Amino acid sequence: MMKTPAIALNTFREAIRNKVLYSLLFFAVVVIVASLAFGALSVHEEVRLTTDLGFAGMSAFLVLIATFLGVNLVYKELERKTVYTLLPKPIHRYQFVLGKFFGLALTLLVLLALMCGVLLLVLHLQGAALEPALAMLVALIFLEVLVVTAVAVFFSSFSTPLLSGLFTVGVFLLGRSVPDIRAVAAKLDQPGLPLLLRGVARVVPNLRYFYVTGAEIDGQQVAISGTFVDWGYVGLASGYAALYLAVVLLLAMALFSRRDLI
Amino acid sequence: MHSSALQPAVQSAVQPVGQPVGQPVGQPAAGSAAESEGGTPALRTHQLAKTYALGFFRKKVRAIRDVSLRVERGEIFGLLGPNGAGKTTTLKVLMGLVRPTSGEAEVLGRPVGDLVAKGRLGYLPESPYFYDYLTGRELLVFVAELFGLPRRESRRRADALLEQVGLQRAAQLALRRYSKGMLQRVGLAQALINDPELVVLDEPLSGLDPIGRKQIRELIAQLGARGKTVVFSSHILSDVELLAQRAAILVGGRTVDSGALDHLVQARILSTEVLIDRPAPVLLQALAGGAYAAEAVGETVRVVVPEGEDVGRLVDLVRRHGGALLALTPRRESLEDVVVRRATDDNGAGAAAPLPARDAQPMGA
Ligand SMILES: Nc1ncnc2c1ncn2[C@@H]1O[C@H](COP(=O)(O)OP(=O)(O)OP(=O)(O)O)[C@@H](O)[C@H]1O
Ligand SMILES: [Mg+2]
Repeated sequence: MMKTPAIALNTFREAIRNKVLYSLLFFAVVVIVASLAFGALSVHEEVRLTTDLGFAGMSAFLVLIATFLGVNLVYKELERKTVYTLLPKPIHRYQFVLGKFFGLALTLLVLLALMCGVLLLVLHLQGAALEPALAMLVALIFLEVLVVTAVAVFFSSFSTPLLSGLFTVGVFLLGRSVPDIRAVAAKLDQPGLPLLLRGVARVVPNLRYFYVTGAEIDGQQVAISGTFVDWGYVGLASGYAALYLAVVLLLAMALFSRRDLI
Repeated sequence: MHSSALQPAVQSAVQPVGQPVGQPVGQPAAGSAAESEGGTPALRTHQLAKTYALGFFRKKVRAIRDVSLRVERGEIFGLLGPNGAGKTTTLKVLMGLVRPTSGEAEVLGRPVGDLVAKGRLGYLPESPYFYDYLTGRELLVFVAELFGLPRRESRRRADALLEQVGLQRAAQLALRRYSKGMLQRVGLAQALINDPELVVLDEPLSGLDPIGRKQIRELIAQLGARGKTVVFSSHILSDVELLAQRAAILVGGRTVDSGALDHLVQARILSTEVLIDRPAPVLLQALAGGAYAAEAVGETVRVVVPEGEDVGRLVDLVRRHGGALLALTPRRESLEDVVVRRATDDNGAGAAAPLPARDAQPMGA
């Protein structure tokens, strides 16, 4: 079936033509200005700072774009009534949702690659040796972005962009704090609240699997610049992401399939 | 945009190449197609109803209440009705865009949403809007891909159809730069990309200038001549009269009547308007005493002879007393009249309305 890819490519084309990639310029400027500032601050630490903050910034930036584009992904088609042309064609509604999702995923992947290019160039100019561990880091960042995108698409399959955006940001913040939520739940000794907290920690994606900076691994605080994970870990994280994506996207497809397109 | 662009392209533009389910081009009429489908109609609805639940409080809006239609294969069918009658809603249900609240709907003998039926279907939405970042040609190629057509064939059809609807010069123009009429044309082109057996057009003639209307009307007629089933909605009776063999009238979300066109709009002449230039004073006096409504417009007098009265008598009067007979125009029943008649006479008196769609409730209920 070439129909889902056709929809995905069209979505990608829309993002490109609507100048989504211009946001890259913004990112590039921020990274370069920041790295110059670090250089002035601390001569020896500048590579570590650029790496840590650069990748953290990249992650935050992509999550933001994923949320924004994700909540508008389906909504825009409804609002502009382009679905009226698309869905009477011999496609299933789930193919539409999937196509839109993969199109956005492709857009984000391209954006990620370009951002990496900018960041690595700056690091190179600072004289840093580029570690292979950075590839794992980038992979984890992308997995997290995919999960957030799917969550955004899920909410937007039944809700307005504004609400979906708020929900998505909420899930993102909770997702990044899953270990903390669990810790709080463990400390409390009343009956109701810990149950609720554990429930929340179970439902939202555990984004700490992907965002490893500042986490404690083997009792040590890790920083991005350190070599802290291996490909086996990335593989496990991919499995988790795939599972979460599958569930959320299936729900989104089911909800969208029932919906009246008005 | 020459009107000649429309004619020669039609036969050659779209052939059912690579269409597993396509039916041969130029097939004259419904006969064999209907047989192969077990005689099912092209479209069928039975007591279709749709109630929207809007907003937070699920406020109920009854968009259609009782729509029963039957469109045979190979015919051009008009869906007539005033604004808000439920034409668009009915078509949206048939296209699988909204779910009916109750009732039955079938497309090409299959349930709504069936992929095989969708593959043989073309649909032009009301005041269409497309991906505005695409060019006209890109849109058509994209749409062709959704039918699983190979790239080459997609491009070939896109170009042929752009020519057919008179947009070849705008092929490389982004759709956001298209005028309303151009969007309507490209919308028609995308509805025809799969050489559909059934073409459903929601207000295909709205937003077009007189030349455009004529071109699109010709295109619809040609589709009909090639054995396609065409269903189109309109609130303009003359468009339906010019094109359709049969039609249904929707009022207030119900089919109040359907059938052959001459059955729907009776040839009945409501009144005859007679224009008399420079009538002799004697004639004016005779008119003033008569039963006619007369009105002077400058040098001329307009007289309305009501239904059932002999126009010949007035003509004789003019002959006898002096004055030039300028025009004699019968005013036939218009859609407005039909709709008003249908909406007011509740029990259907005077009209052969065989549809079960009518009940005794007042329209506003
Ligand atoms: N999305 C919607 N939500 C709520 N009500 C709707 C919606 N769409 C249509 N309606 C209502 O349903 C009724 C029928 O609307 P519809 O658009 O089907 O009429 P129409 O015959 O196509 O009219 P027009 O000639 O103006 O296009 C109207 O009263 C309208 O207010
Ligand atoms: Mg309408």
